[in-house]
Amino acid sequence: MLKNAFLMLLSLAIAIGGGGASVWYALKVQDGVGAIRIGQWTAFPDIGTPAADPYSKARVAREGVLALGRAEGLSFVAENDAAGDQLKRECTYKIEGGFPTARFWTLYAADQSLGVVETGKPRLAALQSYEVLRKPDNSVIISVGHHPMPGNWLLTNGSGRMYFVLTFYDTPIASSTGLSDVSLPRIVKAGCDA
Amino acid sequence: MRNFRAALRRLFHAVLLGIVGAGIVHIVVLLLVPEFSERDAWSRLSMASDLYRMNRLDAEAGGAPVVKSVDPLFYATACRFDLEEGMVRIKALGNVPFWSVSVYDRNGHNVYSFNDHTATGGKLDAVVLTPAQMIDVRRDLPENLQGAIFVEAPINEGIFVIRSFVPDDSWKPIVSRFLDQSSCELQDF
Repeated sequence: MLKNAFLMLLSLAIAIGGGGASVWYALKVQDGVGAIRIGQWTAFPDIGTPAADPYSKARVAREGVLALGRAEGLSFVAENDAAGDQLKRECTYKIEGGFPTARFWTLYAADQSLGVVETGKPRLAALQSYEVLRKPDNSVIISVGHHPMPGNWLLTNGSGRMYFVLTFYDTPIASSTGLSDVSLPRIVKAGCDA
Repeated sequence: MRNFRAALRRLFHAVLLGIVGAGIVHIVVLLLVPEFSERDAWSRLSMASDLYRMNRLDAEAGGAPVVKSVDPLFYATACRFDLEEGMVRIKALGNVPFWSVSVYDRNGHNVYSFNDHTATGGKLDAVVLTPAQMIDVRRDLPENLQGAIFVEAPINEGIFVIRSFVPDDSWKPIVSRFLDQSSCELQDF
């Protein structure tokens, strides 16, 4: 009798604990269902639309996100560099390459919750396409780090994990058909503060 | 020995049952999260302000941002509406480099979006209404609504968000004024 009760409790504990924990974990990982990966960049074109999968819907409800619409833009998030290592706030990176067609784009360094990194200075940890210097072939090289650098400089601060959020506004790639042959800039690590 | 093996089998049975149960709980919890979330955009906004009141989403207006994941180079403002009370009209005056508008349903799903290239003369003047209200309006379009963008949305409660690009510091006061002067009100018809 006691053994039966114990087994029943065990089943219930596994069911409720495992079920709850797996949902929590699935909503926490950045990479999920409905993601589109281009190089190191991940986008969720369907997030926040009625056509989204249940995981995206739950994420939207839990985090109170109001996602960009198709006519507004599309966000890409990067959490690794080209070598596959996690992005660190204490490291210096180079973001280089061409950007797809859009009216303009913004790029910012983000923390775990995808809010912009606090720099403690008037300069934001963000850049936009109207203010960047371009190479003759229209590609862009952006240096990311704590210390001022020539050319385009994205200021970061602190230490720990970092994400890059690259958002294209008023862009044809936001309609899913345009996403197949888009190429995004590479993120290359240049070095780290000891 | 046989006793021990039987006990082991029952333990295995219980664990298997638990795993199947975990799958069911996973699906149920996943589907219930949007239903019971008190942290979704609507709940956060309703704590901050009333229906038909514009409410800044960016941190610039003071205090922590109400709804997160707003681009740091953007200002945004939102208002909640209920189409059962009538259609809602959104207006904003001024020239800014870029604005875009999204209409969300009660669950925070984007049902419609457009930007300044869609609007006549780049002026933000939009009306959100249900298909039934649209039929009434079509019959006799009032003079003052002629230039407006009509957004037909099959929803009752919803959220309206205006986002505007701030290219650099010099634009901050202009974009701020653009959003602060925007209005969101019930339109009589």
